[in-house]
Amino acid sequence: MRHGRLEWLGFVSGALLIALGGCASQTVVFHHLPPETPAADNAADIARMQRLAAAAAQARKEKAQAAGEQAAGAESAPPVTPAEAPPMKTYDPWGRLNRFTYRFNARFDEALFFPVANSYRRLPSPMRAGVHNFFGNIAEIDSVINYTLQGRLGRMVRSLGRFVINSTIGIGGLFDPATPMRLPKAPTGFGTTLAKYGMHPGPYLVIPFYGPSTLRGGIGLAADYGALYVIDPAWIYRGDQSWGLGVLNAVDQRASIDFRYYASGSPFEYETIQFLYVRKLLIEDAGLHRQKRLPQADPNVPAGE
Amino acid sequence: MIQFLFALALAALGLCQAHAEDASIPAPAAPGPATGLADSAALRATVYGTPPQDIAPLPAKVPLLEMDLDLPWRRPIPAVFWFDKRLRVWLSAQEKPAPLAIVISGTGSDGNTAKLATLRAVLYGAGYHVLTMPSPTFPGFIVSTSSTGVAGDLHQDGKDLYAAIGVIIAHLPQQVKITDIDVLGYSLGGANAAIVKSIDAQQHKLNIHRAVMINPPVSLFASVGRLDKLFARTLGNSDAGIERFYQQLYAELANQYRASDRVELDEDFLLGAAASALKTDTQFSAAIALTFRIALMNVFLAGDLYSGAGVVVDPRHPPGVDDSLEEISLTLRTKTFAEYFSRIFAPYYLKRRPGSTVETLVADNRLDVIGDQLRGNGDYYVQTNSDDLILDKAELDWLKTTLGQRIVVYDHGGHLGNLGDRQQVADMLDMLAGRWHGGAQ
Repeated sequence: MRHGRLEWLGFVSGALLIALGGCASQTVVFHHLPPETPAADNAADIARMQRLAAAAAQARKEKAQAAGEQAAGAESAPPVTPAEAPPMKTYDPWGRLNRFTYRFNARFDEALFFPVANSYRRLPSPMRAGVHNFFGNIAEIDSVINYTLQGRLGRMVRSLGRFVINSTIGIGGLFDPATPMRLPKAPTGFGTTLAKYGMHPGPYLVIPFYGPSTLRGGIGLAADYGALYVIDPAWIYRGDQSWGLGVLNAVDQRASIDFRYYASGSPFEYETIQFLYVRKLLIEDAGLHRQKRLPQADPNVPAGE
Repeated sequence: MIQFLFALALAALGLCQAHAEDASIPAPAAPGPATGLADSAALRATVYGTPPQDIAPLPAKVPLLEMDLDLPWRRPIPAVFWFDKRLRVWLSAQEKPAPLAIVISGTGSDGNTAKLATLRAVLYGAGYHVLTMPSPTFPGFIVSTSSTGVAGDLHQDGKDLYAAIGVIIAHLPQQVKITDIDVLGYSLGGANAAIVKSIDAQQHKLNIHRAVMINPPVSLFASVGRLDKLFARTLGNSDAGIERFYQQLYAELANQYRASDRVELDEDFLLGAAASALKTDTQFSAAIALTFRIALMNVFLAGDLYSGAGVVVDPRHPPGVDDSLEEISLTLRTKTFAEYFSRIFAPYYLKRRPGSTVETLVADNRLDVIGDQLRGNGDYYVQTNSDDLILDKAELDWLKTTLGQRIVVYDHGGHLGNLGDRQQVADMLDMLAGRWHGGAQ
């Protein structure tokens, strides 16, 4: 093992010790959070409300149009009925391990991941945007592969277009000129490909350092990473620099997620997140199979099984 | 308890609309916009909050410091609450000496809600240091700060809040220079703020100047019955109603998602869907009742563990950190506030307060307990709405009589549905600065 990797290992294991051991006891601990920007946030909210209202009006128009076409004999997806909703109970046969991992993730986040990401958020925003765009652009390669596997060629072309435009005009992916060119980001991965081919989510799975997922999602993540590892775009997935870049990628991801473990203060947080995560996944699955009627939900089979 | 408070009023509303013939529900006696009879608009305002275009002018930048405090009187922590060891509060400090505004959250909520963020921004913009705090019914407060673990008692919660504020102020960063202290709160937090000021009037440790109560309740436990009824009327007393409501929402979201062109169920989608997922007054009421019930679950579990009542957990074998809480949550979601009162709250406080009865416990949790101060001291203010769901007519009348010129009652907004709008903010700042000279009654 080379010297650089040993250092990283030391860093990671030190972090683990902190995460598992908890913090030293002090009466007060301060976290300087990035300043809030209420005026800009409110302006963005107003703009968003207007956009949503316009989108809703457009959707109503299209619906009316579709209704007209349907009358003319066109086929349309049958609506999901309440009886097709999965049960409120979630399939979680590995619950004990998952709870342990969730708790580990929470401690790790509080001790290390969140503070680091919080400091990172104090860097100038163009710099962070560059990092975010760069990793997002690398991920387009995976999206192109998976849209191809899913047989969604329109979307594949869109992702490919984004990758080409952002890698060239966007200077190696540091900028995202594709979005204003009406090619918004729409990432996908191998987990979605498996869903497209009819694989069920399987047991709920909390992945260390990462967070909530399912067995299918875990396989998907591993495959996504494997594909990028094999391709090794920009030589960032192999070699000594891959560790540093991997950490930067992780910090960038964490900084873009507005979540704090146990901000709810509630011991039911595990249950709540599990519930919402699996329902969100199942609704997205149902969206992948738009033209099919969903199977009637069996109240005795937990959601996701 | 925020949600519980909405729910109370909503309960009354749902009852009156759906079951006007029910003899237990008094018909509105007074003409005009009566409280406790909020209309559809008030319900929707309560759920959606103030539209962004109606929000008062906000500053460009607000600094934010999170403080996690380990309080010396903290009790042993039940295993399932391991993460709630520290009280978490948020400070936005001016660079020069300034008055400090302490803002207390509503039922079941932490000290960093969207409503608190709005209040923080306008107060900071007006030149205050701002400290936002969780409700004493927030589980993180119950575990880290409550000296009993049994939340919901106005006086006890007020004492714990007051003690915590003392520690927080002693540990503020040194460069923060305070010239004066005011307290505010919304919903249940409004009542908490007033109690904190009244405690300070006896102890003089902080010298709190003014208190502004935004949409406060008048009687906590009178409202409880209404809340439970709201839940029962909209969702039923069994799991079946909750399941049905969940299935309806699931199908609604799934269909909207299928009709959309999105690859991910993201925030924009959810915001758009939320605008159309709830349709009837019953659904709005159900959403509010359910939100409250979720907050009550935490209060109930903490109270059960701390008091050793053994209602949902065996006090000799409490659940461990990796144990599933699914069964407990299924049990708790059918537990009413009345049951919390009769099986946990009342037994606990009756035993510790010699001479008390169920009646005195209920009476002690009315704002009347500080009625003389609210009447005689010119530094208490109230902002509320004539269609606020959590008040009935008698309670609003009591507030008006008691506060006199120091209350402003807006025509619309339901419960907190106008918090942060231009008028509410302008009046609130006038009250805090002592510039207020009588409201539009």
